[in-house]
Amino acid sequence: MKRRTFLQLGGITAASALLAGCQSKNEKLIPFLVPPDEGVTPGRANYYASTCGFCPAGCGILVRVSEGRAKKIEGNPEHPVNRGRLCAKGQAVLQELYHPDRVQQPLRRNGPRGSGEFLRISWGEGLKLLTTKLLELQRDQAGDSLAMLMPHMSGSLYALLTTFMSSFGSPHLICHELLSPDWLRQAGRESFGQPNLPFYDLAETHYLLSFGADFVENHLSPVQHGNSFGRMRQGRDTIRGHFTYIGGRMSLTGASADRWMPARPGSEGALALGMARLILDESRFNRAALATNGIRPQELLASLEAYHLPQVAELTGLTQESIAEVAREFAGTRPSLALAGETIAFQTNGQESVRAVHLLNLLTGSLNRPGGVYPAAAMTGPENSHAELMALVKRMRSGQVRLAMIKGDPCHTVPPASGFQQALDKVPFIVSFSTLFDDTALQADLILPDHAALESWGDVIPRAGSRHTLYGLMQPVVTPLHDTRQFGDVLLATAAELGGKVAAALPWKSSLEMLKATVSKRSGLGKGEDFEARWVELLRQGGHFDSNKALGKGYHWSPAATVPNPVQPKFAGDRQQFPLHLQVYASAAFHDGRGALLPWLQQLPDPMSTVVWGSWLEINPATAKGLGINHGDLVEVTSPQGKLRLLAVIYPGIRPDMVAIPLGQGHRAGGRYSTGRGVNPLALLALVEGSELQPAWNATMVRVNRISDKGELVTAGHPEGSYRSDLVGI
Amino acid sequence: MKRSWLIGGLVCLLSAGFLTLLLMYSLPLDFIERSPVQPFFFSHKQHAGANGIPCLYCHRYADKSSLAGIPALSDCRSCHLYISPESPRIKILHEHWNRQEPIAWIRVNSLPDHVYFPHMMHIRAGIDCSACHGDVATMERISRTVSLKMGWCLGCHRQHQASIDCWTCHI
Repeated sequence: MKRRTFLQLGGITAASALLAGCQSKNEKLIPFLVPPDEGVTPGRANYYASTCGFCPAGCGILVRVSEGRAKKIEGNPEHPVNRGRLCAKGQAVLQELYHPDRVQQPLRRNGPRGSGEFLRISWGEGLKLLTTKLLELQRDQAGDSLAMLMPHMSGSLYALLTTFMSSFGSPHLICHELLSPDWLRQAGRESFGQPNLPFYDLAETHYLLSFGADFVENHLSPVQHGNSFGRMRQGRDTIRGHFTYIGGRMSLTGASADRWMPARPGSEGALALGMARLILDESRFNRAALATNGIRPQELLASLEAYHLPQVAELTGLTQESIAEVAREFAGTRPSLALAGETIAFQTNGQESVRAVHLLNLLTGSLNRPGGVYPAAAMTGPENSHAELMALVKRMRSGQVRLAMIKGDPCHTVPPASGFQQALDKVPFIVSFSTLFDDTALQADLILPDHAALESWGDVIPRAGSRHTLYGLMQPVVTPLHDTRQFGDVLLATAAELGGKVAAALPWKSSLEMLKATVSKRSGLGKGEDFEARWVELLRQGGHFDSNKALGKGYHWSPAATVPNPVQPKFAGDRQQFPLHLQVYASAAFHDGRGALLPWLQQLPDPMSTVVWGSWLEINPATAKGLGINHGDLVEVTSPQGKLRLLAVIYPGIRPDMVAIPLGQGHRAGGRYSTGRGVNPLALLALVEGSELQPAWNATMVRVNRISDKGELVTAGHPEGSYRSDLVGI
Repeated sequence: MKRSWLIGGLVCLLSAGFLTLLLMYSLPLDFIERSPVQPFFFSHKQHAGANGIPCLYCHRYADKSSLAGIPALSDCRSCHLYISPESPRIKILHEHWNRQEPIAWIRVNSLPDHVYFPHMMHIRAGIDCSACHGDVATMERISRTVSLKMGWCLGCHRQHQASIDCWTCHI
């Protein structure tokens, strides 16, 4: 280097260092261009009451909004369902609003389906496309070749949908969710003649017996249950309620129990009837309860002849002593309460197993009493949306569906064994209303993006969380960030364009107008009372919570109801080839998969295995040893339906003849946080022959092979886990 | 002779170095932090001093919010559409408006995130703005006049018998 160059370089370095030093490292203060509206004071937060729409539990929320931006969500202390508590999923709803991969304006497909190539279009063009398709159907007198596939809906939006579809002339409105409690409604109808969901009075009970109901994580109204469970354990001075959990896998709920009974999958109904038989046999039942329900104990005992203790012990794989002990405790402690959950319902004999649990509650007099079970107030909802979905799949496959309007993400949450995904390919035009760019939006021909929940108007009737009629309101807490439109508004605009019968049935200009009309009808406005004042008051409270009116009618054993008879469960897959039961379960973070799109939930460690950002297979240490599998190994799971590779977690809280995979991962789209992460265990599930119309999603058998030790399992806790200490031997 | 010169020289050198260090330690040389050059020349001396505009006229949230607030660009403009609109500096202001680009001021008085400092409570307690911000009316360019360290806060709180509980500021 020449001396001159050296000096020049040195000079430049010194000058730049000096210049960098002159720049202040202080923060920047960037003022508004125009001061914000009246009511917004920088530095002071506003709190808005609204309702969480993440899952159908419908908890009340308070959103902190500062400088016009939503900052934090907490539970609404005035809301009877969650009383100020909120789960992680509800807290994470904030990230739906700010998600970088939201659909920001209407899109039209511009390449082969699933390629993800879309063209940005305006709302005018988008609505015109949809209306043209709908007008074509009307012209061809083919109204019933329109199908609408929605997640769980309640309130005015559901009314809007049904009106739209019936006036258009299509009966194919299907509200389907993988985890929806249709089975509970159906069982309720068969046992009690009413399809209400149950309201469990956990807080007041003295003895709780859960047949695979993971009520702390997902079952019906988890925040309400978690809160009540806490009060059951610690809220009373004199008694700490006892809790026994029955199920092959120890969930977070199972881990909170005093006793865990890992019954063989599919045998839980027989276990319930075995307990019922013992209670009858030893005359430990509640005579008054049986008399009011018109059941003669002797006849019932005779019809339960098949459920002698030794047979039940044989079926369930539990000891006779433990079954008898739990049955005696359950009958001897008043009030006691038995619940049935998804784990047992998603078997081929699930319906009857759930009803066997109903019978247990009846025998101990736990129906309609404090610390027992009441019918919940809200009763709308499908009773077998799985069968409806299968019928739709058939129609789609034969080309009878020409236009599918879809909200939610069925492409991810419907098991491929149903044939849904292939049948959807046969539909010539698919419209998605997704907020985030999910798997279904990827398949769509037209995406008309809905507002995020925090930008929307709406109303929610909470699911099973109360005996009283509750009506939660959702209000926008921020101005919409993108060029999106609320789903209800899009439907109303389309209806107006269609004209004729549809427009006449839906005269509202916007979903807000429709919501106000519903509210004024529901809230029972007195004469001369000002609606606007009432409306503002309801918005301030977060809804209308009437604690006096319209309790569900009490449970009464229906005269037409038969004695529950859970026959031997059937499983998909030959036992020789596929020796292990597969259980897919809803994790505490992802629900049915919708949570996987949000990074807070991805990095939330699973409460049992502490895994973050991935999929895993839970396997018993003894089984793993036999197969040569170590913690964190890459394994292949094969079922009659498919194959998946994922990482093994050695988990002593599971039966040796069972493996479990959490739901939710394995999205093909859904934005940067979920795309291609983990695997979707639904791909393994097979339909059970002869029970195709039942959602028997826990009835698939699998085998597991070790592939390599090259797994990259990320856990937040110690890889061995704290649960390894001295846990129950099975 | 030579040796004593050498020792004397060394002692001089060392003491000079020591004095320099002492000076650097005691002098307020953090002017980049304390009194940074702002991206836009705005004189508080002119506005608050000569024209006597009250602080709260522009920092309008100080008595309602924890933040005092910096006037929005449209607030500056609404006066300067009529007051010396042709001055070269005001022209720069209007250019900012035409580009719809707010002026990114550099923060002078800042507290760490673990301190909760509500302006409104201090204003309502009758503390004069100058108690913390110095005599702004004489400053061409804003500079920080106090340390804003915890000890300084506590001194004032003790003097006014305000609460010195930890939770008062660290919530």
